[in-house]
Amino acid sequence: MKTLVRGGRLIDPLQGIDAVRDVLIENGFVAAIGEGLDASDARVVEAGGAIVAPGFIDMHVHLREPGQTHKETIASGTAAAVAGGFTAVACMPNTEPALDSAAIVSEVMRRADAAGLARVYPIGAITRARAGTEIAPYHLLADAGCVAFSDDGATPRDARLLRNAARYAADLAVTFISHCEDPDLKGDAVMNEGAASMRLGLDGAPGLGEDVIVARDLLIAADTGKTWHIAHVTTATSLDLIRWARGRGVRVTCEVTPHHLAFVDDRFDDYRADAKVNPPLRGVPDRDALRAGVLDGTIDVFATDHAPHGADEKAQLLSAAPVGFTGLEIAIGAFALALPRLPLARFVELLSVNPARILGVPGGTLAVGTPGDVTVFAEREWTVDARLFRSKGRNTPFDGMVLPRRAVATVVDGAVVFEHGQVLPREEAAV
Amino acid sequence: MPARSLLDVDDLSPAELVAVLDRAVAFRDVLPPRDLLAGVPVLNLFFEASTRTATSFTLAEQRVGADVISFAPGASSLGKGETIADTALTLHGIGVRVIVVRHQESGFARRLADAFEGNVVNAGDGTHAHPTQALLDLMTLRQEFGHFDGLRVAIVGDILHSRVARSNIVGMRMLGIDVTLVGPPTLLPPEFARSGVRIERDLDAVLPRVDAVMMLRIQRERITGGLLASLDDYTQRYQLNRARLRSLGASAIILHPGPYNRGVELTDEVLDDPRSRYVAQVHNGVFVRMAVLDLLVNGAPVAA
Repeated sequence: MKTLVRGGRLIDPLQGIDAVRDVLIENGFVAAIGEGLDASDARVVEAGGAIVAPGFIDMHVHLREPGQTHKETIASGTAAAVAGGFTAVACMPNTEPALDSAAIVSEVMRRADAAGLARVYPIGAITRARAGTEIAPYHLLADAGCVAFSDDGATPRDARLLRNAARYAADLAVTFISHCEDPDLKGDAVMNEGAASMRLGLDGAPGLGEDVIVARDLLIAADTGKTWHIAHVTTATSLDLIRWARGRGVRVTCEVTPHHLAFVDDRFDDYRADAKVNPPLRGVPDRDALRAGVLDGTIDVFATDHAPHGADEKAQLLSAAPVGFTGLEIAIGAFALALPRLPLARFVELLSVNPARILGVPGGTLAVGTPGDVTVFAEREWTVDARLFRSKGRNTPFDGMVLPRRAVATVVDGAVVFEHGQVLPREEAAV
Repeated sequence: MPARSLLDVDDLSPAELVAVLDRAVAFRDVLPPRDLLAGVPVLNLFFEASTRTATSFTLAEQRVGADVISFAPGASSLGKGETIADTALTLHGIGVRVIVVRHQESGFARRLADAFEGNVVNAGDGTHAHPTQALLDLMTLRQEFGHFDGLRVAIVGDILHSRVARSNIVGMRMLGIDVTLVGPPTLLPPEFARSGVRIERDLDAVLPRVDAVMMLRIQRERITGGLLASLDDYTQRYQLNRARLRSLGASAIILHPGPYNRGVELTDEVLDDPRSRYVAQVHNGVFVRMAVLDLLVNGAPVAA
């Protein structure tokens, strides 16, 4: 089986390529890169006028299966992924049950395979049931396919347990990922603590709640030598702490979401939960620090924290409504909106090169012999209409906004799984 | 056009606010005929317990001739299982046209008003707003001083958790009143400072300078929450008591939204002091609420 992505501007930072090139994929692997490659027998993706990049990897996604399939399924979530230009996603373990056993991880991978769309890389739990009391079986989980470990939103309270977890997993080349919110400082907060929360009479979470956990976990990373990744940073101080840790030789990376780059805590005047997310949207100084942190290289990864919920759930009272936004289908445009002057090579690094490296998964380049995962996107304005999402979740503060960039085609394992606005599972795509 | 609601004081223009107070004064002077809201079904929906506010609203509603329904669903039933939109649709379908609502969550009144095809009056939402309380406080101030502009008012205590303070800050700023907030940093964070709103920590320095002092209720659960050390420690700096009454000006007045915690934010001497206006406040409350209902349902005769 041959697929030819023809005539696009190929941006492959690891190969130092930024030029119009054809990419030929044979039997799932890149076979050639060049100009005017032979298209006979090949399924052709016309990429003229568009940008061709190694497949984008969203390393922070909630697929909700098993356990909460009214919010999302592996099939709907991976359809959203490829429609948004992602060839792979890493899924967080806050399913029901949690991804804390090899059997569940294997089942997730089997269902992802059956869906035949994006690659799915499970992230295992750090503690059993994400309960923060017993460490999870890392070796079994890694053997089953886990590419990282995280307790996601259930930030472990117990520093001794977390230290032991990192020591126990030290010989596994699998990073730990921290969602940094001190549960005590956060309390019952529904938004950021600041002038807006004070005015509205709403409980606010101070940025300090993130900073103290970032500091703690970086120190545990330094102590144990474990590689560490800080999920969705939202404060200027977090970035300062990460810079400090790197200066001390700690192997730490971090990510930022489109919503924290685009929005601030001024979206609660209607007391709806549409802007409720963890960590919360912060104030202008923090948002500006995040933008600067992308431009100066402190931030390694763009990730969406794709968190779909039912419309009825999100319509509950602010205190009861769940946190998070669906993100896969707006990500490319939303990141471009927030950082219009970011060089395209950096854009590709943040969405492909770096997540592949951090997770230790294939991709990040289209060098000959690497997997045929390709993202084609264009500098083309479009208006977000959440009703058209493949995701079951329509909860996004970007709904209705005009974004400057979008995915136009997605190739996974040499199969065109998204093109002309249509999602095509791999089996159909191959026919 | 959706029906008007009163969710906070600034849902009124400054001119409307004054018109509501004028109308409340007129009602106090001469009770109107009981037909201003004749046959209008008004639902008192109090998710959070209330004695004074619920009684005051009920009396106000009866005095304007409304069909009054009172329902205290408790904290957990309505608004949790059923969506707010469904609740609003159901109540409107039954025939309710005005809802007076109190709820323990900030923003509940707003969410209900956005979904309900009728008038909503906020009788207190969480720590956010309590506009009719602010209106009755403003009515009491005007009754005393005859004007608002340049008045100096101190609000003392747990500002962070006070919907009364928030609504008064909004209303007082609309009318040019100079507001000073006094309390410990845990209950009065610096974010409350803005144009026309000062933060002070020293009650003794503030008292001689103000025309009115509003003492907020202090709740004991703030101690277990780590926001206060002890009641002794609090009262030593922020309690209005016999000694501090001496530094309050002779023509100044004392306001309290109630209910009191005697011996906490104030002592018995304060309640007996001739400058205390608690009774005037609750008395005015009924007329303010009549005026608000009249405005929302019948429209405002605002002088241009």
